[in-house]
Amino acid sequence: MVSPLIRRAIRWARPTPLAWVVAALLMFASTAAQAIPAYARQTGSACADCHAGSYGPQLTPYGMRFKLNGYTDTDGKGFKVPVSGQLRETYTNPATGKSTTNLTEGDLYLAGRLTDQVGGFVKVEADRTGHDTYNTRLSNVDLRFVARELKLGGKDLTLGVSVNNSPGFQDPIAALPNASFIAPVGVTGSLLSLATPNAPSNRVIGATMYALYDRNWYGEVGTYRSLPKSTQDHLGYNVASDPGSLHDTGYFRFAYMKDMKKQFFSAGVVALTTHRSLPRSGPSDHLTDLGYDLTYQYLGNREHILQLSYVNILEQRHYGAALFGAGGVAAPDRGNVHDQTLTATYTFHQTYSLSVSRLLSTGSRDSVRYPPFGNPDATTNMVTLFWAPFGKDDSYTTIANLKLAATWYRITRFNGREDNIFGAPPGVRPTHAGDLNAFTLSASLAF
Amino acid sequence: MLSPFPPASRSEARRSRLLHGVVLAGLLFGWYAASPAVRAGDASAGADVFKSECAECHAVKEGRNKKGPSLFGIVGRPSGSIADYSYSDALKQANWTWTADKLHWYLSQPAKTANPGTKMKYDGLTDAKQLDDLLSYLGNVH
Repeated sequence: MVSPLIRRAIRWARPTPLAWVVAALLMFASTAAQAIPAYARQTGSACADCHAGSYGPQLTPYGMRFKLNGYTDTDGKGFKVPVSGQLRETYTNPATGKSTTNLTEGDLYLAGRLTDQVGGFVKVEADRTGHDTYNTRLSNVDLRFVARELKLGGKDLTLGVSVNNSPGFQDPIAALPNASFIAPVGVTGSLLSLATPNAPSNRVIGATMYALYDRNWYGEVGTYRSLPKSTQDHLGYNVASDPGSLHDTGYFRFAYMKDMKKQFFSAGVVALTTHRSLPRSGPSDHLTDLGYDLTYQYLGNREHILQLSYVNILEQRHYGAALFGAGGVAAPDRGNVHDQTLTATYTFHQTYSLSVSRLLSTGSRDSVRYPPFGNPDATTNMVTLFWAPFGKDDSYTTIANLKLAATWYRITRFNGREDNIFGAPPGVRPTHAGDLNAFTLSASLAF
Repeated sequence: MLSPFPPASRSEARRSRLLHGVVLAGLLFGWYAASPAVRAGDASAGADVFKSECAECHAVKEGRNKKGPSLFGIVGRPSGSIADYSYSDALKQANWTWTADKLHWYLSQPAKTANPGTKMKYDGLTDAKQLDDLLSYLGNVH
């Protein structure tokens, strides 16, 4: 899902925050890629059954159950080849800089069931990195074993194991940043966010055990460790954005979800805690993410669908090493980062969608770690219009899909400021938050 | 024919036959009106019920099986009769016909109660009007 721009930006993240921000914003242009036609062929379902807008990534309650069941549901017509592909052409028009139109991404999905109890999702992504050059990397992985139709106290119970490479990607509600692919962009961020510099996303491997009890109560616990740098390199990642060495890492998730057919709501909490050495030979920081998420969906007769989600993640940091800035100023040994995301999506006829997001990234003041103002706060607004003409029961085809999307990114605050966000001295042209704005048009074809 | 009553006149016999006819017609109408096929008056509302209750697992397009079999022509169809759908053993052995009455009975309770061993996961539709509307809609899908 992450565009080549963001990967390049990840490499540059700390020294050049402007490049990081622009690239991270453009990441969102390539997020809606979860409607996998291989799943439609496997289940006989339409894309719209699992994704309100027929292309994703937002899941309907039915899509959540499909994920919880380990991607193993089937129409019973035998083995289907679990392979799909996707191509994306993107026109990018940043507020400052040159507009471009390129074939930005080509994806290969290995996605589907192997047995009644084993299924998965693996994405191999080729991102444009320059003139006719592409970098191939292993993107999201979620391999599952699931035991279904168990009983506990007379109630339904589903148990599963997920082996995945991105904390939160495996979540069924799919509101957490690594699953929704919507996250605030700033000079810092939480571990659970894919937009954070040196984020664990795709660069770790972990296993979680989950349970769904009485169809409504969801619990999950697991652990992760970062991939060796050499492995990251082999998988297509630049080691400059290594998430560091992670120890004593725990992932915890608990949620209540209620599917009332015409409506759905969920309320959940999430935690991710780790000791991180970044760089790997350095001292260890203790980082703990504590978050909660609320979602609501009005589905009705599927003509008018409204989806709301709010995610609030607070990361508490206890730095392991003393850090000194200019003039010998000592940085605080503790700090916090606070990510908030509010998204509302309206979908008409499972075809036309309007999605509006407000993304806030704030943190404790730290003049050493967050130059030049010591303030990491950033605010981004994002508006997306898209059209996905296929993927419904009555579509010309239900096993391929097209999505045309227009997205506007508006940055109203960066480094805690609207104007001169990088503190340019007099005589140097300042950069304002609005200079980071961008507009994209994209055409995605999944088959 | 022996009778404890005195023989009726010809006009009384006509009135009696008429009365019997009215009663019989009334009974027939009552039975007919009470049957789900007629109670279900709003097929367009039933289409909405279908979309929210059934459409994730069933399509109404002929030959389009999802997790559940196509419901094209479901009313009047023998159970387990779509050749290229893999039914549960429980439904294969049910050997019933999906009349409107049978569907009303089946859908008004959990599927696993109505047909233990079925693959179908459905808790039942307890709203009587919605069920009637749904059956009316399904009756038109052919």
